[in-house]
Amino acid sequence: MKGDLLSGIDLPQGTLDLLILKTLNLEPQHGWGISERIRQISREVLNVQQGSLYPALHRLERRGWIRATWGVSDNNRRAKYYELTPEGRRQLEDASASWQKLSAAVQIILDTA
Amino acid sequence: MLLRDLLYRGRALFQRKVMEDDLDAELRFHLDRLTEQHVRAGKAPDEARRLSRIDLGGVSQVKEQCRESWGVSWINALARDFGSALVRMRRYPRSAVVVESSLALGIGMSVAMFSLVDAVLLRPLPFPDQDSIYVIQKADPLAGAHVEELAYPELVDLQESIPGFEYVAVTPTSLYGYARVLETGTADPVQLEASPVSHDFFRVLGVTPRLGRGFTDSDEQVGAPPVVVISDRTWREHLRADPGIIGRTVRLNGQGHTVIGVMAPGVEFPRGAALWVPLGIVQRIVERRGATFLQAVARAKPGYSRQQVDRDVSALFTRLADEYPESYSSSQRGVVTPLVNYWTGSARIHLWIVLGASLLLLTASAISSGGLLLSRAVSRRSEIATHLALGAPPRRVLAQMTAEGAVAGGIAAIAGLGIAYLVIRSLVNWPPADIPRLSEASLDLNSFCFAAGAAAFVAVLCSLAPGWAVSRMRLESAIREGDLRSSVSQRANRARDLFVLAQSAVTFVLLATAVLLVLSYRSVAFVETGLANRDALTMDVSLRGPGLFPSQSFDTGTTHAFYSRLLQRLRKEPGVTSAAAILLRPLAGPIGWDIPYEFEFEAGSWDGKQRPKANYEVVTADYFETVGSPLLQGRDFDNRDAQEAEPVAIISETLADHVRSAGHTPIGHRVRLATRWSPGWMRVVGVSGDARYRSGTHSGAHIFVPILQAVQATRHVVIRGQRPRQELEALVQRIVREIDPSQNAGDPHTIGELIDRDTARHRFNVILLLWFGACAVILAVTAVYSVIAETMAARRTEVAIKSALGARRSRVVRDLVVRTLRFAVLGLVLGTAAVSSFGSLSLDVFRGTSAQDPIVLISVAAFLFVVSLGAAVWPAWHATRDCRRTLLRES
Repeated sequence: MKGDLLSGIDLPQGTLDLLILKTLNLEPQHGWGISERIRQISREVLNVQQGSLYPALHRLERRGWIRATWGVSDNNRRAKYYELTPEGRRQLEDASASWQKLSAAVQIILDTA
Repeated sequence: MLLRDLLYRGRALFQRKVMEDDLDAELRFHLDRLTEQHVRAGKAPDEARRLSRIDLGGVSQVKEQCRESWGVSWINALARDFGSALVRMRRYPRSAVVVESSLALGIGMSVAMFSLVDAVLLRPLPFPDQDSIYVIQKADPLAGAHVEELAYPELVDLQESIPGFEYVAVTPTSLYGYARVLETGTADPVQLEASPVSHDFFRVLGVTPRLGRGFTDSDEQVGAPPVVVISDRTWREHLRADPGIIGRTVRLNGQGHTVIGVMAPGVEFPRGAALWVPLGIVQRIVERRGATFLQAVARAKPGYSRQQVDRDVSALFTRLADEYPESYSSSQRGVVTPLVNYWTGSARIHLWIVLGASLLLLTASAISSGGLLLSRAVSRRSEIATHLALGAPPRRVLAQMTAEGAVAGGIAAIAGLGIAYLVIRSLVNWPPADIPRLSEASLDLNSFCFAAGAAAFVAVLCSLAPGWAVSRMRLESAIREGDLRSSVSQRANRARDLFVLAQSAVTFVLLATAVLLVLSYRSVAFVETGLANRDALTMDVSLRGPGLFPSQSFDTGTTHAFYSRLLQRLRKEPGVTSAAAILLRPLAGPIGWDIPYEFEFEAGSWDGKQRPKANYEVVTADYFETVGSPLLQGRDFDNRDAQEAEPVAIISETLADHVRSAGHTPIGHRVRLATRWSPGWMRVVGVSGDARYRSGTHSGAHIFVPILQAVQATRHVVIRGQRPRQELEALVQRIVREIDPSQNAGDPHTIGELIDRDTARHRFNVILLLWFGACAVILAVTAVYSVIAETMAARRTEVAIKSALGARRSRVVRDLVVRTLRFAVLGLVLGTAAVSSFGSLSLDVFRGTSAQDPIVLISVAAFLFVVSLGAAVWPAWHATRDCRRTLLRES
């Protein structure tokens, strides 16, 4: 596995949900697409354990934050697409707001201490 | 939100296949894309596939994590636990059968008893606001009268002087003597129980007719046209539920009555009443305070409490005794009974006792099943310990045990409901249990809830001990099989000791209660009746004519003539041994004639107060011989005792003792009744054995007067013969009709049936309790046996070595059983203490015996000890033999 610090860092607990919601905010996407997008956008810094993506997706679906439909992918194969529900959009707003606050606070401490 | 979550979980549970297929496809898609990526990067296809699996992190692990996200894994675990519990039951079929049958017995019996209690005691009566309705009677403790009846003037007293009552009405204390022959004109005449009531009666009960109207003041006036209100049942059974019945005329005892109302369903009060007629304000009732045959029912105004009712009623009766000393004894007092209690009477305590007993049986069955499940858990301790050592949390083991208990409880509940159904069916069809509304008992929603509760109770009890014993054990101690010092064995032993103790205590309580009830039943049913000829047949041959009191249309002369012709003809019939007549047959209920009396030697000493009362009966010659009540001294009545001859009487042994204790000879002494119609001094010509004429606790004081010298007519025929009772019954009926076609003989009962009916509640209790007791003993034996057998299995090696080293067999056995027996004895001691504390409720229930009776308690304890000893020693004795043979050979 790509475990060394330079190639990527592991996600803090609970942030995967936020990243998934954020990714889906742009457009409906399948699991593979989500993992690729997170990797690309984070400039390959964030190392999303691909295996942990799916349990998270299923948990979010059970909570009703995302909805799954079967569609056809760009290479003409059947794929399971997830999209945000209105509930999930609200959740995304709340979660990103609190994340901003948290990271800003952590930043202040790191800067001053 | 929550709903969507539930829907999702439901899909995961019930559309498992679809979910799995989707998951499969989703992950395959991901893997394929990963593989493509690796191939593009120049890897060989096989290598690319391998790498992509590594990237994903193991397909089956990912799948497992996804399944956990579905939120139903605990349900699946539960299902697995239940499944394996069922598998284990199949693997140990013998212990499963024992556990299930004992639990089913416990649950079935308690559900059945609960259904009876529910039907008789818990379900409300059909009277709105039933708790504010009271039945008012009087008692005179000094005169030995438990229940005294009221007279009509006291209705007015109650209405006028107690403002807390909204309505007050009166009705005769017993339906006896008021039955009416109903002729509808379309069907055969039938004899129905009727109750004369004063006009506010239905307003007291708070019920309104379903058709027509109830009684009004004007229906009661002298000369008012005769009217009747019929019960819903009568309307359906005898009038074909005719909706146009109101205003029609039916004949009652030959007199036309207009039907003015059909009562709401379920209203059959006084119990058994099929029709109601106005009491009617005839002069002889309204004025005479001595015409006591009534009881009052009253509805209290809202906020008027039971204490206030008690206080005001007793104040009223004390005042009346002062105002009318010639009518009332100064020791009279009011007896106020809430209608609900009056309705169920002594059935209440009896039913609670059987319910309590059945719950004890349920507990006993749960304890013995818990013991068996504990043994089973201990026997697979290495399996469980391995589980625990591999990292299963203790709560998983507990969950398994609970599942086992729940499966056992669930199956037992289903089987128990079947048993309960059969028990209820047979109890409802039981010959006269004389418990109101018993026939309404059935398995309903309440019973099912109760069964579910009972199942939960046994499930918890059955799984607690095994769970507690094995959930924390360590692998090494469990594998060292038979090590008594290992933690599992110690815990299991402690649990077992507790089980043995509780079981023997519960068994003792059940068995001792059953024995006490048997003794009490014996004293009620056999010792005291004094009526030996159980086969003697009695029939109601009251002469009936129109009027409130159906017999008032005949003068005494006519009745005497009728009866002397009837008895003459009956005695001449072939196969008839003897025939006689009596005013009121024995054990006709709590009714009868309680008349104050005095003997010559004590004449005048009473001064109008606290005069004792005796049961007054009018009989013909041969009466005592027919019912089998011995004449201890003197002679029977005969032709000499005619109207103009000297008045004579036969007294019972109790009264004769009273005379003897004053130094006089009963025969030849004289006795007098203190009533308006007293024939004056009567010479005692005979002494009869004491006999019971009323239910329950009535004293043995009786005065018998010959028919020709009495002002009352006889109303019952008593006949005995060498012919089947049906033939005797038909014979009496035929001859009565031959003498007077308008009369009929009804309500046939042998003396035995009357006694049985009187003691039916006791018998009902006794039989149930004996069953419960027997079941509990069997359960206790099974429990002790299985504990010893289990100990034996665990200590085989030890026992074998001991025996091989020459220890005497009896010594080895003693070592094995002594611990268990010690706890059994401790249980017996606890049980004895529990039963002794029943003392306070023993008055009515344990008649003729006491809950502290040392002989009973010691005998029961000794019996149970011997039984436990046998159950313990037998398997131990056998096992020591087997040990020597097999085990040493094995090693």
